[in-house]
Amino acid sequence: MIKIPRMKIFDSMARSNSYLVGLSLFLLLVFIAFVGNWFGFNLWISNSKFYSQILDSHFIDYISIIIIVIPIIGAIIELVYGDKSIKHRDKSVIYMGFLTLIIVVMIYPVILHRTLELHIPGVFSLGLNLRIDMLGYAVLLLSAFIWFFVMIYAHEYMTKEKKSTRFFFFLSLTYSAVIGAIISGDLLMMFIFFEIMTITSYMLVIHGQNDQSYKAGYNYIIMGLIGGFLILTAIILLYFNIGDLRFESAIEKLEELGNLKYWIMGLLVFGFGIKAGMAPVHVWLPRAHPVAPTPASALLSGVMIKVGAFGIIRAASSYYFPSKDVITSINDPLWSAASHIGAIIIWTGIITMALGVFLALQQANIKKMLAYHSISQMGYIVTGIGVALYLGYEGAMGLTGAMYHIINHALFKSLLFMIAGVIYYHTKELDMYKLGGLWKKLPFTTFTFAVAALGISGIPLFNGYVSKTILHHGIVEAYEMGNHLFFYAELMFIVVSAGTVCSFIKMFYYVFLRKTTNEYKTMVFDYSSLDIAMWSMGLIIILIGLFPSFILKSLIIPILNLTNYDSYFIEHQILHLNVFKSEDLLMTLMIVGIGIIIFFVGKKFNLFHLHLPKWLSIEYLVFFPAYLFMRNLCRLMYGDRCPTDKDDYAKLSEKDVEKIGFIDRFVITSNVFNRKYEQSIIRSDALIYTFFITLILVFMLVKKHLL
Amino acid sequence: MNIEQLPIINLLLFLLMALVIPLLKRRPFKLTLILGFIVLGFVFVSSGYLLWYVNNIDIIHYTFGGHEARFGIEFIIDPFSALFTTIIAGLATIIYIYSSGDATEGIEKTEYGRYYVLLFILLMSMFGILYTNDLFNTYVFIEILSITTCAIISIKKKKDTYTAAFRYVMMNELGSLSYLFGVALIYMATGFTNITLIGETMQNAYALYPVNIIIALSFMIIGLGIKAAIFPFHIWLPDAHSAAPSTSSAILSAIVIKVYILVFVKVLFRVFNIDILNEMNISTILLVLAGVGMIMGSVFAIAQKDVKRMLGYSSVAQMGYILLGVGLLSFDGLRAAFFHILSHGLMKTALFLSVGEIIYYKKTRKVNDFDGMGFIMPVAMGVFSIAALGMIGIPLTSGFISKLNLGLAVLDHNQVIFLVILIISSLLNVIYYLPIIILAFLKNEKYRYRMKSIEDTPRTMIAPLILLGVLIIILGLFPNQVMILIEAAVNSIMS
Repeated sequence: MIKIPRMKIFDSMARSNSYLVGLSLFLLLVFIAFVGNWFGFNLWISNSKFYSQILDSHFIDYISIIIIVIPIIGAIIELVYGDKSIKHRDKSVIYMGFLTLIIVVMIYPVILHRTLELHIPGVFSLGLNLRIDMLGYAVLLLSAFIWFFVMIYAHEYMTKEKKSTRFFFFLSLTYSAVIGAIISGDLLMMFIFFEIMTITSYMLVIHGQNDQSYKAGYNYIIMGLIGGFLILTAIILLYFNIGDLRFESAIEKLEELGNLKYWIMGLLVFGFGIKAGMAPVHVWLPRAHPVAPTPASALLSGVMIKVGAFGIIRAASSYYFPSKDVITSINDPLWSAASHIGAIIIWTGIITMALGVFLALQQANIKKMLAYHSISQMGYIVTGIGVALYLGYEGAMGLTGAMYHIINHALFKSLLFMIAGVIYYHTKELDMYKLGGLWKKLPFTTFTFAVAALGISGIPLFNGYVSKTILHHGIVEAYEMGNHLFFYAELMFIVVSAGTVCSFIKMFYYVFLRKTTNEYKTMVFDYSSLDIAMWSMGLIIILIGLFPSFILKSLIIPILNLTNYDSYFIEHQILHLNVFKSEDLLMTLMIVGIGIIIFFVGKKFNLFHLHLPKWLSIEYLVFFPAYLFMRNLCRLMYGDRCPTDKDDYAKLSEKDVEKIGFIDRFVITSNVFNRKYEQSIIRSDALIYTFFITLILVFMLVKKHLL
Repeated sequence: MNIEQLPIINLLLFLLMALVIPLLKRRPFKLTLILGFIVLGFVFVSSGYLLWYVNNIDIIHYTFGGHEARFGIEFIIDPFSALFTTIIAGLATIIYIYSSGDATEGIEKTEYGRYYVLLFILLMSMFGILYTNDLFNTYVFIEILSITTCAIISIKKKKDTYTAAFRYVMMNELGSLSYLFGVALIYMATGFTNITLIGETMQNAYALYPVNIIIALSFMIIGLGIKAAIFPFHIWLPDAHSAAPSTSSAILSAIVIKVYILVFVKVLFRVFNIDILNEMNISTILLVLAGVGMIMGSVFAIAQKDVKRMLGYSSVAQMGYILLGVGLLSFDGLRAAFFHILSHGLMKTALFLSVGEIIYYKKTRKVNDFDGMGFIMPVAMGVFSIAALGMIGIPLTSGFISKLNLGLAVLDHNQVIFLVILIISSLLNVIYYLPIIILAFLKNEKYRYRMKSIEDTPRTMIAPLILLGVLIIILGLFPNQVMILIEAAVNSIMS
């Protein structure tokens, strides 16, 4: 019998925040009522005069700009209050988030009816293009909810951190950029918002301002900018060859480009993939997510990496899909490009999920473990996207799985990060082997953790099960309708799911269940904004798990209908999809069984404490030739009399990439290079002059006389 | 007053101002400053008016002394020269306002007058170079320009500035003489020095004396390359930049080296025409030079400890971008290059001026000493960050637009490899600009308390900085309006 102690309310805003969350849940209820057409609600709205007036008005087109601007206004008001009144400051941010949420929920009927498009020429040389269609709307709705909950959570959490004004300011700006990236109408706009998002979220990552966060942040922003440049290259190539960047089918023109179309898609996949934490380019993620303050890591994992995945979906499903009025069968050759790209993306996704879960099992730091799970779960999403492309006309199942998993993962991963934050908030400890027995002290948190963990492990009646089952169906279809090699992909899928189960059993055991000597006597049992936000997210997770077809009907089917997929397939396979079939349930049982076995074996033989040697990290292996070259460059230039300091040389031969990254090594090398050549170039002015003039003369005269 | 005489009045005003400054020696210095500002303001307005006039009404031809063009000197004010004189006048006004806030770092009080005399002669020669339609006349103005530049570099009266100035003057004499040699060879083959007349007879002359023309062109490439600090000929630039006062570094980097590239554009497109250039494969030479410069300039910049040297090397890399656009020898290429001349002018001015303010007040020019600088000088570091982000090519700044245009122009020429170089060069920019911003705004917050007394620098120094920051962003948001003027300039140079 647990004795529940008296609750204490410290936070003055806990009550008003509770009302707000209650309102947001009411909003959700209205949304559900509208979709489910309770009491003729849907008809009543659609027939009302007010609604038809909205549909006709021009004002509604500007709604996309309004929802981008609202968070910025919030940020400015927030800055005005500053540290003078923390209460007002946080309120401005939270209420602006709530306002955005209201608007986003309210425009659902409009979006269902038609796509909102806005074009303002003259800005950014190509004009400002915004559009909200169902694909964007699904991610937008999801982001709006999660951002709102996290802001409620952040208000309480940040009271213990320094410089929270700056944090909230950049949080709001990031929100605006995320919304912009989701609802932009062409690739250039998306790229612009994407870059802004990279820079503003950098400020969130380095908020801790210690060595570790600087290092992680530097890694984050460099990788982010590299991703940006890859996308920019793709944009330039696309615009040059197609002459248009709007998200519309361009496959007929792309088909004429030969291999270049694969290059463009490769650049886009990697550019967006860096943000999405895809396998070979995920290295920033496990460093950046743990060092950021918890609200930021919840949003990074919950929303921002999804924007990367969304970018891939958006670009692939618009440019590389034939338009709806051209193609009506699977056998058309126009699908082949998408199919080839899809096959590669599937394997990338499989590798990503396997790598993520394998590394997650080794982690002791809770947030780091969650970050690796984010990589792994992004692998699921990427695989889904791959299937959606690979199967072309029949790939609706893949897209459904990917979109569904985007929604689910956003919910449970931000919830898990928030729980890790609560643990840290109370104990100042993130190492799971040092924690233990928290279930007595934090019973509600334990309960929400159980919900989220069941969600991510894919247990029936929780949301993860639904999307994982759909993704599994997708992979099965890929090997039934396509290549048989994808059978191994299915195997990997099962193993990875089992690993995920094992990993969360492990975390649950070490953090909450295990008996320890720690008493945590000082810990107070309180009710605060942290809890309300987490409970409501847990509630949504359970709701989705209980009524899986709701999301399908309300958000995903409209997306599929707008995309060029076989409508017969959608009608029969997805609309009436039943995830609670016996073979799927058995499969889950098997996965859980394997997971438990792995856990006991791992615990018995101490496998979780095994660590790979430092040089076996992907970064080191990829850059190894470059590192070797840099280390020996000094020798090459000077021979044995290399005057470099011992210090520099030691840094260049360091095997641990965590300590000295590629950029640092490059800077050291360029210093060595500079020391050797800068002055000698400056002194040899006359030589350079004569050399080049002879060179040019010879070049031109020889050319002239040969021709 | 006849509109044709307006450009001459601009030139004369500069000269007159340079003459008047020594005469005002006994009067308070403020009088000189105000007078100079009035002159610059007038010239800016009149250049703007000329820009409007040539774009909407007619191109202006002016021949001196009533001689016909083949004997005398001819000035042509077309969309090209009008646009760039306006840009120069605008940038010079901004830099002038800034320098009047006594940030003429390291110059002795008695030398102030001399500094402004040199500044006005410098401006006069640059206007002359752009207006004139005569190769030899261009040479004369180029000589005036390099000698005044040399005097400005050495104005600080320190030992290292003299070495820098000496190296500068030697290299630039080499450049000028190479250019003159080219002009002489062309004169030998065609019998003219007037650019329009040479252009008309060039096809003929090339058929008759191909070797002459080839040698002339290669000497001109090298000569103007030295002056424009194209990569392997950039040798004089880093020392000169670190030696000169910040305001003159800004003028040097943002305006002077651009003027030489504009001369080069004039030589390429008006003296020779595209057919001859393609036949001689000039494009290859220029593109190779540009590509190497874009990478190597940045690599050297990464290794610099001195901020101003670093900015100097960054200019070398950015000149590579401009040369890339020019070297494509196409409409799109020139358009991108001209836009980058403008946007780099703004960004480099902003960088040098903000760094100048920091150097003046904090007496440090080491990159590593910039920690916490964002809290001491928020405006200076803020503008520095905007301009640095522009250099990297972050959207919402003008640098992004020029990179986008350059990328499209490169593809138009089927040179995908240069797109790769462009991206790599942007990444190198990230490596040396980003750490400074991070250092300034996020580290060493012990200076934070000083935020309360935000920058007690004079308003005349703060205002130009803010103006530059705003202009960079406006140009990044609405490039189309400026693009119309630039396209007119490109059309006039290519016709």
